[in-house]
Amino acid sequence: MSGKNAAATVNGTVSYTPVDADFKWKNNAKEIGIDENFASQGFWKDVFVRYFKKVSAVIGLALIVVITVFAIIGPQMNEFSYSTQYLDQKNFAPRIAALERFGIFDGSESMKTTTGSMKINYYEEKGLNDLYYWFGSDNFGRDIWTRTWSGARVSLIIAVAAALIDMIIGMSYGLISGYFGGKTDMIMQRILEIANGIPRLVIVTLLLLVLEPGMLTIIFALMLTEWVGMSRIARAEMLKLKEQEFVLASRTLGAGSFFIIFKEVLPNIIGPIITQVMFSIPTAIFTEAFLSFVGLGIPVPQCSLGSLISEGFNSFTTHPYQIIPPIVVMALLMLSFNLVADGLREALDPKFKEM
Amino acid sequence: MKKAKAVVAVLMASTMMLSMTGCGNSGADSGNAGTAADNAADTSAADNTASADTSAQADGAEASGATASSSDLNIMLETPVESLDPQQATDGTSFEVIADFTDGLMQMDADGQAVEAIAESYDVSEDGLTYTFHIRSDAVWSNGAPVTANDFVFAWQRAVDPAVASEYAYMLSDIGQIKNAAEIIAGEMDKSELGATAVDDSTLQVELNVPVSYFLSLMYFPTFYPVNEEFFNSCADTFATSPDTLLSNGAFIMDSYEPATTTFHLTKNADYYNADSVQLAGLNYQVIQDSQQALMSYQTGALDTTLVNGEQVDQVKDDPEFLTIGAGYLWYVSPNIAAVPELANLNVRMALTTAINREAITNDVLKDGSLPTYTAVPMQFAAGPDGSDYSADQSRYSDVCVYDAAKAAEYWSAGLEELGVSELTVDIVVDADDAPQKVAQVLKEQWETTLPGLTVNLVVEPKKQRVEDMQSGNFQLGLTRWGPDYADPMTYLGMWITDNSNNYGLWSNADYDAIIDECTTGDLCTDAEGRWARLYDAEKIVMDEAVIFPLYTQCNAEMLSSKVTGIEFHPVALNRVYKNAVKTE
Amino acid sequence: MGKYTLKRVITALFTLLAILLVLFILMQLMPGSPFNDEKLNADQRAALYTKYGLDQPVTVQFFKYVGNMLRGDLGVSYNISKNTPISQLIKTRLPISISIGGYAVLIGAVLGLLLGLVAALKHNTIWDSLATVISVIGVSVPSYVFALALSYNFGFKLGWFPMLFSPNDIFKSSVLPSISLSMFTMASIARFTRSEMLEVLGSDYMLLAESKGISGFALIFRHALRNALIPIITVLAPLIVDLMTGSLVVEKIFAIPGVGSLLVNAIQSNDYNVVISLSFIYSAMYIIIMLVVDILYGIIDPRIRLAKKGGD
Repeated sequence: MSGKNAAATVNGTVSYTPVDADFKWKNNAKEIGIDENFASQGFWKDVFVRYFKKVSAVIGLALIVVITVFAIIGPQMNEFSYSTQYLDQKNFAPRIAALERFGIFDGSESMKTTTGSMKINYYEEKGLNDLYYWFGSDNFGRDIWTRTWSGARVSLIIAVAAALIDMIIGMSYGLISGYFGGKTDMIMQRILEIANGIPRLVIVTLLLLVLEPGMLTIIFALMLTEWVGMSRIARAEMLKLKEQEFVLASRTLGAGSFFIIFKEVLPNIIGPIITQVMFSIPTAIFTEAFLSFVGLGIPVPQCSLGSLISEGFNSFTTHPYQIIPPIVVMALLMLSFNLVADGLREALDPKFKEM
Repeated sequence: MKKAKAVVAVLMASTMMLSMTGCGNSGADSGNAGTAADNAADTSAADNTASADTSAQADGAEASGATASSSDLNIMLETPVESLDPQQATDGTSFEVIADFTDGLMQMDADGQAVEAIAESYDVSEDGLTYTFHIRSDAVWSNGAPVTANDFVFAWQRAVDPAVASEYAYMLSDIGQIKNAAEIIAGEMDKSELGATAVDDSTLQVELNVPVSYFLSLMYFPTFYPVNEEFFNSCADTFATSPDTLLSNGAFIMDSYEPATTTFHLTKNADYYNADSVQLAGLNYQVIQDSQQALMSYQTGALDTTLVNGEQVDQVKDDPEFLTIGAGYLWYVSPNIAAVPELANLNVRMALTTAINREAITNDVLKDGSLPTYTAVPMQFAAGPDGSDYSADQSRYSDVCVYDAAKAAEYWSAGLEELGVSELTVDIVVDADDAPQKVAQVLKEQWETTLPGLTVNLVVEPKKQRVEDMQSGNFQLGLTRWGPDYADPMTYLGMWITDNSNNYGLWSNADYDAIIDECTTGDLCTDAEGRWARLYDAEKIVMDEAVIFPLYTQCNAEMLSSKVTGIEFHPVALNRVYKNAVKTE
Repeated sequence: MGKYTLKRVITALFTLLAILLVLFILMQLMPGSPFNDEKLNADQRAALYTKYGLDQPVTVQFFKYVGNMLRGDLGVSYNISKNTPISQLIKTRLPISISIGGYAVLIGAVLGLLLGLVAALKHNTIWDSLATVISVIGVSVPSYVFALALSYNFGFKLGWFPMLFSPNDIFKSSVLPSISLSMFTMASIARFTRSEMLEVLGSDYMLLAESKGISGFALIFRHALRNALIPIITVLAPLIVDLMTGSLVVEKIFAIPGVGSLLVNAIQSNDYNVVISLSFIYSAMYIIIMLVVDILYGIIDPRIRLAKKGGD
């Protein structure tokens, strides 16, 4: 609106002698933001509509919601807790009341021993006819259903927290480094190389030894190691865009560096950034799983999807059902994050409209 | 047909021999096997030169053809070798491999007793302070040089040399009590003054500070193995890091090896003085850290023996090739008595120890045949003057540590009352390894269920860190283990004297110190039976005061191919000895 | 370009030196000691510290280490392989890790690019969904699960490949570990290629190229893929270093004598010299690859080359 007025004024004064003041940067935030103001009319509504047009994106979002809901209420859905051990009820195969009569999930498993294969049903063997472990029980006699969902809860918190922190820190670092270039870039990239050149395991182990082991320490450790990837993406994108005309235009209009970085360039690279965030979620879950594997993960008896997979891994050839629930939940979680990321990226980037 | 039957009988007898050194049989036939094993033991006692199964098996092998002599034994290791330098090695894997190609003065027989090896004979002086070993003339190194008394003197001087800084130097000083060893380690004397001297090439004389009843059994410990000085000097700094820098005087010769490798191989040593009795063509070692891969490899026949993880026991427990073997380690919880006021309370400690259901830990979680233990000295490693196991009677202190939820709760409420609190939070440090974490999770659960108001936090740390924390007193409860260094209860009881660095709880009791002193350097040194009785008195003090909460004696679940017989398993020093093993095709 | 490269190489050397110093400081912060066993008493530990010079100040240790390193001496291992020169340990192990990691990168990158291209070109079809599913499985199942599943099926059941690494048959016994390692790379590259290609395909210059009549193969490989490559290389580079320096879990499962398991053992047993040396090699490889990537950027995208000239 103010843009139109300004244009009118300029058009109105035909015989005008330029003065020095006219050649200074206007430095008027309102006017610089002009194109953004214009574009943002109905933008988010547009995104919303575009997003929900895509079936896969909606499915992904629904899956995330379902898994999150289960992560919240799942552990309370039966009488077991994630830590209570019933050592006389170890390694019970999955058993679900409704499906029992169809011959599946009836609590029996066939075990391949070195002397042959045999079918066992511990529920019948021990006379526990009213007992139902929906996903089976682990080698401490803990309910895998409860543990899977409390593990999903822990993993979600760790992954989302780490990914968000990672995004904020890494993105800012990469954008700033890429935009300023020259000496700034040189120094920032060397610092990054030093930080990244030291194997992640060395830093993380050290952190976990020095700090109290727990969820916050793991998030901190992940943050410290994962931001680098994001910053590289952001920097590469910045290098691609910063010589483009719209950046030049904005600079000519007198926009400050940080305005250009965060208001002009950032919205243009939101696609790759979101893709990278979605990738840092599995990376975060993975790194946590790896830490569990070397014995530095979430402290026992607490669990995460990663530590459950590590635990189940030890029974992979003996009781394969123990590793399946955490892997399936993890895969679904990854799939849905990917679908949501895809949907978001296409919804956010109008260029995809015509495709 | 008859011959075939004989072979089967021999095989059975030898398998039962194995189960005798093992952790007892988990099946219902344990009584049966016990008697068979006794018979076998009798035969081997009657036969001095070779163990019963070997000589018998030699006949069996002849009967079934000559294939036995042409095959390698394929052995699985869980961890890589740390060092093949006998004076630097500290772990069981390294010891086992060193013993494959090196003989000491003495060796272990199938029952774990010390018998002559490089020493042809030995004399002990009346006062028990001087040992004279006569070295056999046919013992040679693989480069042709004879094994001489000097090789031992050189090796032992290395062991105590502060410049070498051998971690097991204390085997010569504190445990072996060799004259001047302690002073040399402390840097107060030159290593040439060590109380071990070569009288001539074939005579080694050792002087001790005090009589040491188990001194001969130390001679099979690798720290005491010989090193050829000339060869050592020719290798410079690379000694024991490749086949070229290793010298053998034992049953096998290393022919492919790299430091910390995952596969290596040894071949039979034709120049070994007892080469005729070595049946195997060689040893093929494979390091496998993943237990599921190990079992699959075993099932395809790539391995002849492998360790089995607790979870896999369900798969293999009915297999006749499945065994449990005593590993010697006692696992226990050490409370920090000096630094944590709550744990200084005897009732609290009694509550904790009586609230532990040890059977549940071994049967339901570990499942590898480990034995629940109710004594401060574990089972099956120390035989007394009458030949019986020191800790065979597990009910000796059962009133103070056997699982009893009601009694534990009583102790607990009494303890809380004395402390004037209604709830308690304690931390327990555990190793970041699989088994300790499993055990700790069960302990936490058992304690919290039985003792109302107790919260237990697990602090999981890498082992090195855990040991450091415990040695510096920076812990509340610690789950730790101790493996015997020599076949005498003192290897355990010596830990809890005042100011010992492994007395983690810094417990101190003057009566206890006096008994231990009496048994190590005092009057009882030479009185085997009297000493034995006093050791029980000392152990009773430890148990009554709940200085430690013993949990279990570790066993390893293993698979051993039915083609293989004669491997000797020991809980002390050398866990597996292969020189008498036989493999039939 | 030559001057720029030289300048980058010199800064890389300084970066390495800085990393070495940071590593030394980190080792000092590391709790615990390399010599910590139940059986070791305080005096004996002090003797060991003196023997290895660990009782001296960090700065002295640092300069000594740098001095020795310039002469090609990386020191000896303290406890995971007692007194073995580290150069000897690395000489035998690094080539194994590099070759297995190299195969994995190759398999991962080629399959990943193909999968990503197919998904992008057949956007919103069944092929796209299939590629998505494959890549999701690739990123969400840990490599050790793949490793064991492969080993169980192709090693144990079918007997096609050895289950354990064998120095006598390096190629055949590297197949299963390389495949299980490559899954994550493949999935990451596929996802990234797809998203980058979609972006590029929707850009104006592609429209221009298409309207100029360029079509098919040339259009995709010369115009589209070339522009999508920068971010892909950025993602691939650190993965290469991670793979080539050995993966702990896969090395553990297949009993591979590589450097990955060595590093983990060294960290867990506080074997400072081994940790420092291996970390340093990792850093060196990382920095070299990053250097190559930086130079590659210039070759692939002239805009960056120009920007650099302007900037310097």
